[in-house]
Amino acid sequence: MSSIRVNPFPMPDLLAALEQLQQQTANTTLELATGSSINKPSDNPAGAAEVIRLNAESSQADSFQSSIGGINGQISTADSTLSTVVSTLQTALSLGVEAAGGTLSTAQLADIATQLTGIQSQLLSLANTSYQGQYIFAGTKTAQPFVLDPTQESGVGYKGNTDTNNVTIGAGYQVQVNLPGSQVFGLGGATGDVFQAISDLITSVQNNTGIPGAVTEIDTALNYVTSQRTFYDDGLNQTKSQQTYLNSQSLSLSQQLNTATAANFATLASQLETEQTAQTATLEAIGKTPQESLFDYLK
Amino acid sequence: MSSLFGALSIATGALAAEQGAMDATTNNVANANTPGYSRLVPVLVESDPIVLGSVTYGEGVTLQKLQSVRDPILQLSIDQATQEQGQLNTYVSAMKQAQVQFTSSGSDIATEISNFFSSVNQLSADPTSIPLRQGVLAAAGNLATIFNNTSASLTQQQTTADQSVTQTVQQVNQLTGQIATLNTQISQLQGVGQDASAFEDQRDVAIGQLSSLIGVSSIKSDNSLTLTTANGAPLVVDGQSFALTTQTNAAGFQDVYAQGVDITSKLTSGQLAGLIQVRDQTLPGLVSNLDTLASGLANALNTANAKGFDLYGNPGGNIFTAPSASGQGYAATMAVAITDPELIAASSDGSQGSNGNVAVLAAVQNADVAGGQTPTDYYSSVVANVGNDVSNGSAELTSTQLALTQLQDQLGSVSGVSLDEEASNMVQYQRAYDAAAEVVTTVNDMLYTTINMGTLTG
Repeated sequence: MSSIRVNPFPMPDLLAALEQLQQQTANTTLELATGSSINKPSDNPAGAAEVIRLNAESSQADSFQSSIGGINGQISTADSTLSTVVSTLQTALSLGVEAAGGTLSTAQLADIATQLTGIQSQLLSLANTSYQGQYIFAGTKTAQPFVLDPTQESGVGYKGNTDTNNVTIGAGYQVQVNLPGSQVFGLGGATGDVFQAISDLITSVQNNTGIPGAVTEIDTALNYVTSQRTFYDDGLNQTKSQQTYLNSQSLSLSQQLNTATAANFATLASQLETEQTAQTATLEAIGKTPQESLFDYLK
Repeated sequence: MSSLFGALSIATGALAAEQGAMDATTNNVANANTPGYSRLVPVLVESDPIVLGSVTYGEGVTLQKLQSVRDPILQLSIDQATQEQGQLNTYVSAMKQAQVQFTSSGSDIATEISNFFSSVNQLSADPTSIPLRQGVLAAAGNLATIFNNTSASLTQQQTTADQSVTQTVQQVNQLTGQIATLNTQISQLQGVGQDASAFEDQRDVAIGQLSSLIGVSSIKSDNSLTLTTANGAPLVVDGQSFALTTQTNAAGFQDVYAQGVDITSKLTSGQLAGLIQVRDQTLPGLVSNLDTLASGLANALNTANAKGFDLYGNPGGNIFTAPSASGQGYAATMAVAITDPELIAASSDGSQGSNGNVAVLAAVQNADVAGGQTPTDYYSSVVANVGNDVSNGSAELTSTQLALTQLQDQLGSVSGVSLDEEASNMVQYQRAYDAAAEVVTTVNDMLYTTINMGTLTG
């Protein structure tokens, strides 16, 4: 008698198959539960590395966004301060024009001189504007930049420096966030020195001499400050357009991240179905494995 | 033989033979679920006939022996597959554990690197802000901590693997001792021509267990068995076993010695090889990757900080403790070197309000600081490698297991006890026994007739 013997113990095989199916089901369920196809590096090694890079890029984009948030306040403060400086200078200009008319009494001229002195200290205070505890026209220094200084011809000394700060708001993209106060207020310049102009005007009005020349000086200073203001307007425009770009970049990164990791629910659902069917079938096979042998029939 | 007594003797021989065959079935049924048991088959042979004149008389049946059914070649393949499986199983389970450290979470190395550079970037908008500076220091602390923790848990795993090496060597020695004892018993029995199958089964089981622990080659001759490691160091020679020993090496781990020779790096399969691979190669490789990354980052950031000026107007010092030249062991010991947030060198010109050096610090994020790669790229390739190791190892393990299952199936079909077969054999032996007994009865009747022949005729 010769017949092909089969392994009389199929149970270990079936149990191993069942174990494997249970493992697969657990993986599928985990993917469904987390909504991610990469729950550990071995799920997709290249994908896991890609996720790390995308996350890093995305976090960098977020940090650029928050930098923009931080500098926008500073730039707009500078911008609106300069706008106030311009309107203050306009007031000074009209006072100067009035004084230059030659029809005013000495007392009236003295009044105007007093008003102009007020404007002078207002300008000084504007030049010392700070944002979050930091003077915005001090260059990179932290001390109060503009101080009364009788040794100076304009009566105002500059304690800041001529350095500027840049802030990175994109990969390899830096934006300059400030101008040194000495430049903004044209200190020591041949034309456009705001404090020199106002000081000259006050002196002229007080002495009632050379007023038209001083008025021209104010006009030049006004135009100069207005031109300086465009730097800040430009800065605001740059940050605004970069913000738009970063928003779209963040969106695109999160889409890429989604593509890299998102679990395909339709596939997973059908996979789970298949696995469960296979599991049921295996269980049934185990259940139906003959529990009896020929011995049962030999009674 | 043509005498009635001769017939009686043949029938009695048949009774004994069928009884012996029944013994085989009984033993098979009793051991149906015994691991490693190889079924017994009775070897029945026809007794030598007697020739009287022109007639040849059969002399009945002899039970020569009860033989166990084995397939040594298949057994050898199973042992080899078991060795491979033992190695892969240990390796994969250790790597799965290591992989947890590299799984994306809210506080993995990649996240902490990003967090650190975000905090640096924030400082650029307001370089004098103490809270922002503290944020940078806190992020630096978190970065150092995650490197410390990851490195420590990998090292801890190394220690665990090392302890398992010692335990596995003890198990190996215990098993080789058992096998040597079984060898002696087998050769003694076989020497006097007795059946040693029960001991052979036990020895097969022991060799199977040994194979899952260490790669062995076995050389079988008539009565003896020699087991050696893959590189030829003897483990068992006949009745003698040679214990493996362990010795502490320079790294503080246990090296495996066979008769005074260091065989640690020669082990290629079995659990022991898996443990040693994980302990001496894979985990140290990962720790060294972390060291490279941590020291590269720390060096680059320290250098960047030194290019600027702190809030006191002094040139910047180290942010992180300085790594050694090789960077070895740095991930475990990395720490923030400063506690005063004002010491972060944000300024490029010495003025407090300058942020010029922040960009220098931030640029480290995109600089090649480790293995010619940026921190994030380097880390992500480490993660990809770990993932590949686990996924390739798992795939290999699955296929080895499949092969092993198939081999065991095959062996089962050769040596396993089939209850159906045993039941049918039992019926067969029982019927033959019944028949032989019937012959005895009939011969007895015939003898009675012969003895009483005179009485009947008288």
